[in-house]
Amino acid sequence: MTATQPRSSRRTEILESRPVNLDGFVEEWPEKGLVAMESDFDPAPGVRVEDGRIVELDGRARADFDFMDTYIADHAIDAEAAEAANAVPSVEIARMLVDPRAGRDEVVAIGRALTPAKILDVVKLMNVVEIMMAMQKMRARRTPANQAHSTSAKDNPIQVAADAAEGALRGFAELETTLGVVRYAPLLAIALQVGGQAGRGGVLTQCALEEATELELGMRGITAYAETISVYGTESVFVDGDDTPWSKAFLASAYASRGIKMRFTSGTGSEVQMGNAEGRSMLYLEIRCILMARGAGVQGLQNGSISCIGVPGAVPGGIRAVAAENLIASWMDLECASGNDQSFSHSPMRRTSRLLPQLLPGTDFVCSGYSAVPNPDNMFAGSNLDVEDYDDWNTMQRDLQVDGGLRHVRDSEILQVREKAARALQAVFAELDLTPISDQEVEAAVYAHGSEDYPDRDVLEDIKAAQSVMDRGITGLDLVKALERGGFHDVAENLLNVLRQRVSGDLLQTSAILTGDFVPLSAINDANDYGGPGSGYRLEGERWEQLKKLRHVTSAENPETEVS
Amino acid sequence: MTAPAAERTLTLNEIGPAKRGSRPDEVVVAVSPAFADPFTKTIVDVPHAEVIRQILAGIEEQGVTARMVKVWDTADLAAVAHIGARLSGSGISIGLLSRGTTMIHQRDLARLSNLELFPQSPLLDAEVFRRIGSNAAQYAKGESPAPVPTRNDQMARPRWQAKAALLHLKEFECIVAGRKPVEVEPVISRR
Amino acid sequence: MSATAPHSAPDSGPDLGPDDYPLSVNRQDLLRTPTGKPLSALTMEAVVAGEITPEDLRIAPETLLLQATLAESVQRRQLADNFRRAAELTAVPDAEVLAMYNALRPRASSREALIAIAENLEGKYHATVCGALVREAAEVYERRNLLASEEES
Repeated sequence: MTATQPRSSRRTEILESRPVNLDGFVEEWPEKGLVAMESDFDPAPGVRVEDGRIVELDGRARADFDFMDTYIADHAIDAEAAEAANAVPSVEIARMLVDPRAGRDEVVAIGRALTPAKILDVVKLMNVVEIMMAMQKMRARRTPANQAHSTSAKDNPIQVAADAAEGALRGFAELETTLGVVRYAPLLAIALQVGGQAGRGGVLTQCALEEATELELGMRGITAYAETISVYGTESVFVDGDDTPWSKAFLASAYASRGIKMRFTSGTGSEVQMGNAEGRSMLYLEIRCILMARGAGVQGLQNGSISCIGVPGAVPGGIRAVAAENLIASWMDLECASGNDQSFSHSPMRRTSRLLPQLLPGTDFVCSGYSAVPNPDNMFAGSNLDVEDYDDWNTMQRDLQVDGGLRHVRDSEILQVREKAARALQAVFAELDLTPISDQEVEAAVYAHGSEDYPDRDVLEDIKAAQSVMDRGITGLDLVKALERGGFHDVAENLLNVLRQRVSGDLLQTSAILTGDFVPLSAINDANDYGGPGSGYRLEGERWEQLKKLRHVTSAENPETEVS
Repeated sequence: MTAPAAERTLTLNEIGPAKRGSRPDEVVVAVSPAFADPFTKTIVDVPHAEVIRQILAGIEEQGVTARMVKVWDTADLAAVAHIGARLSGSGISIGLLSRGTTMIHQRDLARLSNLELFPQSPLLDAEVFRRIGSNAAQYAKGESPAPVPTRNDQMARPRWQAKAALLHLKEFECIVAGRKPVEVEPVISRR
Repeated sequence: MSATAPHSAPDSGPDLGPDDYPLSVNRQDLLRTPTGKPLSALTMEAVVAGEITPEDLRIAPETLLLQATLAESVQRRQLADNFRRAAELTAVPDAEVLAMYNALRPRASSREALIAIAENLEGKYHATVCGALVREAAEVYERRNLLASEEES
């Protein structure tokens, strides 16, 4: 600092040192699409239909359609109803979204016929509280749920298994892993599956990878669902991602043809981040992604900016736009795994404010990746929430009486499932002749926090073992057999039960998860029936009793003791 | 910010259209349109001259030759790296974006796959670039090096992502659609 | 539990409605593996005895059509269409499905190559809905310059 610099007050120095000032903020640049949802460069709504075919969409004639326009016009929008629906004033549609007396089905029906610009025009009228009101009604599944990341900075499979087990026990309905070194994938996918089923039977697992490899692991039954099927809002970025709406639609059918649950992924900011937003706002482009997903007939979408959250997070109104994109996915009748899955801010207060628009109304998966490992071990580059936030999360659920999908679990139970997961994985690796897992590693897994608490693995041997899983054609069924032979009968049964779900296809329906009794719960048998105060999902009864428990609660009966 | 007295600058002199190499012991270093000109440093101010110096040193210390290519018609890292890999005699390439994001790629892999990816440009320093060069050279020799340890700072996103997007937008403006990759000679000079 | 929703799918098959879901609980009678086994045959005893193969843990095309009927009964038209395409793809081996997906990536195939895939789907696998999707892709790719250029193919 030089002598000429003006003197700051002590208050300014204190404010300068606050974590929020480590976050990056940028000015809007609407011409390049660096703007959340209010841009003069977005098209005006409009649609024209001839002979049952959309010939003009948001001011663009069919001859000038890019492939997103073509796909959306031909597959996503209900052409017969389009002209009438788009003629309804946006404010009326926005009011229907908020008004509890307009039923979900009715609002979904009109939504099927709207163009991207019309949808944007509607949500631009809504403030963040109205967006939450609408989300409460439009979420497809009645019961909210949550999803976790279980990864390791060292790609350590024992860590992934133990943290998957703990996460499953705490209540996550889905678990996701990914890699530092991609070639490790088969081992971590196995670890996640075995650990998850050791924690709570029926938890669904996935491994985020390049599309073709992810499909292969799914086909083999090593993973239960897939989510990293990215779609983008402009043609050029879609092509940069090496896909088109047709390749992705084919992929959606390929997954369903093997009985595997799948959702697409998209989010505000990805196009501008990849450098070609074609001068459209982030939310306008995201709406195109959502419509493309519906057109492809995929059951759901992970959105809420996801890996690009730093972009909408850096511009004015960005987090409102993120809440709006989750709402639109639900409005378009898709399962919505609603973000909150990437490191977002240095400020704990800002991390919480980013979360409330999904936690308060509830979504199909409030986080599409709550870090069930310490954030430094999170190979999705960190989440908005991690293991160190478990008690805060549980307390927020209890304070506000909202269900964010998790619960407090006693330490003794956690240690038990961590050990079981590590032992089960040890048995599977031994049965399948993969790299051995020592008793010392198992013991480390029981008490560990992060990857530094585990003995180092022989990375090259693990990578060879991972390759051999692929070369030998090991399947989910082999894992069942290995678990059974290794003496983990209940874990084997759990995994077999998950694999059996493929035969029925029940998990292919919108927003499907599996209960602990292996009953599929989807937007068909658990359809959201919110209709105003006193209706819809209410946190009450046995579940509310569970969520009243925290690590430290003073006993009313004997105030000298605690209950937990 | 004042530049150190001995700061190096990088110039990429164009040699001609990039061709598929015949030497089985070469690594192609493929850079994006704005690399070295108009941009001069990564998102965390590592000079491009230093990035290239370290990568080339890492390759050469393994006894492998390096060839540099500038890609003009895309600023997508996987595409830049894969174009490099397809031009490489060994099939191995290092792809680089101006802000520092790096990937080691191989010709026979799917474009969106890779051997090693270093997605967090704010965490890449001189030492990491040298190790990336060394690992790429070892792949070119048919060896299986231990991957360069992936750094992971979960707070890089909130700090840097939007700036990265801005840099990328500026890089995108340097794309020349349809222009083929050009072989370049790196010249590092002291200012 | 009986189906109460009106029959809405053009496909043949039983009259299914929301009350039939989940099929694995309410309509096990309708479910068979592609190998013809009922769900109840997929037991641990059978796995240990080596009587279960990965083929037994796949979904049958008939089941996908049932799920399509269910999806349609709750007005999810595109989801139902996806299940119909999926029903067709059950006949296509894993490696070929992956190859077809890769061929549909941008600039990966010539127009002729895509048409050949469509013909293969329609002829060999009777997958007419999937074939139409690939034909549609070929048409759009041509218009948007996303077919393989000569030096790349």
